[in-house]
Amino acid sequence: MMVLIILTAAGILAMFASVFNGRSVVLPVSLSGLFAAGYFALLEWNTNTTYFEAMRMDNFAIAFTVVCLFAAFVFLLLYHYMHYSSDVHYAEVISIILFSLAGVVVMVSFTSMLMLFLGIEILSLSLYILAGLKKKDLLSNEASLKYLLMGAFATGFLLFGIAMLYGATGSFMLSDIAYYLGLHKAVAEPFIVTGIIMLMIGLLFKVAAAPFHFWTPDVYQGAPTLVTGYMATVGKVAAFAALVRVFQLGFSPALETYQFLFAAVAVTTMFIGNITALYQKSVKRMLAYSSISHAGYMLIALMAANEVTNGAVLFYSIAYTLASLLAFAVVAILQQKSGSDEVSVFNGLSKSSPLMSITFAVAMLSLAGIPPTAGFFAKFYVFSAAISDGWVWITVLAIINSFISVYYYFAPVIASYMKKGNEEGIVLATPVKVLLAIIALLTLLIGLLPGSLSYLI
Amino acid sequence: MIPQIFQTVPIEHFVYLSAVLFVIGVVGVLTRSNAIIIFMSVELMLNAVNLLLVSFSSYHQDPAGQIFVFFIMAVAAAEVAVGLAIITMIYRNTHSVDINDMSRLKG
Amino acid sequence: MIFMEVSSAAANTTVANYLPIVIQFIFAAGFVGTTMVATHLLGPKLQTKKKLQAFESGIKSVGNARQPFAVKYFLTAILFVLFDVEVIFLYPWAVNFMELGWQGVITMGLFMGLLLAGFVYIVKSGALDWE
Repeated sequence: MMVLIILTAAGILAMFASVFNGRSVVLPVSLSGLFAAGYFALLEWNTNTTYFEAMRMDNFAIAFTVVCLFAAFVFLLLYHYMHYSSDVHYAEVISIILFSLAGVVVMVSFTSMLMLFLGIEILSLSLYILAGLKKKDLLSNEASLKYLLMGAFATGFLLFGIAMLYGATGSFMLSDIAYYLGLHKAVAEPFIVTGIIMLMIGLLFKVAAAPFHFWTPDVYQGAPTLVTGYMATVGKVAAFAALVRVFQLGFSPALETYQFLFAAVAVTTMFIGNITALYQKSVKRMLAYSSISHAGYMLIALMAANEVTNGAVLFYSIAYTLASLLAFAVVAILQQKSGSDEVSVFNGLSKSSPLMSITFAVAMLSLAGIPPTAGFFAKFYVFSAAISDGWVWITVLAIINSFISVYYYFAPVIASYMKKGNEEGIVLATPVKVLLAIIALLTLLIGLLPGSLSYLI
Repeated sequence: MIPQIFQTVPIEHFVYLSAVLFVIGVVGVLTRSNAIIIFMSVELMLNAVNLLLVSFSSYHQDPAGQIFVFFIMAVAAAEVAVGLAIITMIYRNTHSVDINDMSRLKG
Repeated sequence: MIFMEVSSAAANTTVANYLPIVIQFIFAAGFVGTTMVATHLLGPKLQTKKKLQAFESGIKSVGNARQPFAVKYFLTAILFVLFDVEVIFLYPWAVNFMELGWQGVITMGLFMGLLLAGFVYIVKSGALDWE
């Protein structure tokens, strides 16, 4: 609860700073807000505090909260150093980010369907606005409208599912729904089936899993690159945590029945994401398809539904978040310099900015799942979760997909090392350099010492 | 308390009505090309859900469903505000709200 | 299915109960249809240019009615909708005012305070300035 209050208060302060000529206090206020929120979240580790029968800060919620807070921290710093002087809406952007984090906290800690809905909407409404930040840019406009229409459409499905489940069970509480499902062996009742399927459609829309992924490439490409990075990390991780939570706390008696559905969605998502990514010229669009395929890998862990699922999903989220942050940060910086997001902007990057080329290479290695990066162990844990549950065929398909993905992840890396391009040095602010280096080191460090991170929750 | 009289209408009737309204909304979203009409269709979907929740609420004699409806209405209002602002922004740039004109983003 | 008993018991009685509504519908449709046909048949048909003009209290009509109007109206309208809808949260509080006591007052005060903060932001950022 303290986390929510702090984030909201920091958001309101940042919002007021813009109208009272206090641009310079925005960054200190928001960063201290983030740190305080993280501190109070960690303070509740192992306590399982329940608030108003609507939210529970269990370890699962705290871990995902901290991951999202970290991603937002990186985003805020990058946004500050790239747009502080150029963006008139600088303070508003940061306050919207803080408000969206309040939504994230609700999304990962809910125990009631009402809070699930509110959390998703708080995050989504913030993201709709962020996608359209560049008011004069037609691509940004288009991305924002498409995101809004598709997001609202998905919310409709989500709500219809919740209403159906309420009709059958008479409660919005996840524990009551799970109790009802277990007691009546009611997984096949028409209301329950409609409810769970509709809810699944709504949530799969939000995590961008096939066949509900079609909005993703357009939105990711059209939105400002840093915002795309925020959507691809915080938006996706929070939505995925919500999906895992709703199925574990609410529908665990029914999970067996829906396993095959998840398997089908996971396989389609991986293949569509990876194969379409091969044909992309724009790096942003390529990363969008790659993020779709990563939703597929994470769905495998959810489908396995055993005691290692939570750990595997958390580890995958951390690895994916770190690598995506790096990738989008580099693309954003290059796009600001050259105005293009084609693979060719990477030509000669190893000469013009060795740091950026090496961090980008680390990010791509991690996303492709090659040791010794975090991405390798992320995939390893997901696959071992699936195999321990007997899902060998899906693991084989997932490994084939990982090989396909190597091809497109390496295209920009090869361009930056092998091809000649503009060798004029790119100057970065020192904090940005430090940030990039730290994230890259973290990716390597987690890859070398995966240790107990996956048994955290 | 919720009046008993509402329970004399069988719950299925409410479910059918809201399912039909919901499907009309879905078809509207999928077939229309004017952004504002798509938005109205989405609102129709949300209102179908509201009707469903209220009828289940009276069926179960449980006020939680009606509270949920309040939240849906408030969130829908916020969504409309954001949505119409985005549509106005686009109208200022292109003088059109036809989503078929929006195909600049292609792979 | 949990709803089966209720619906089958109610179904026998309800069909007959809808009869008055059906009759009402027939009368309503019949009245509209009859009057429309009757005026069409009975009324004299004179179609001069003046008669087809839009009537605006005797003043000559100017221009097209389908003109876009200023975005400022629209902004005010949106802000009105936002604040207007939040009032629905006051109703359940007002109904249970006594039971909720001081805690309810404080909670509502916080809620209203947050709304007010939004309003202050709107005024300060100049969204309501007419020029």
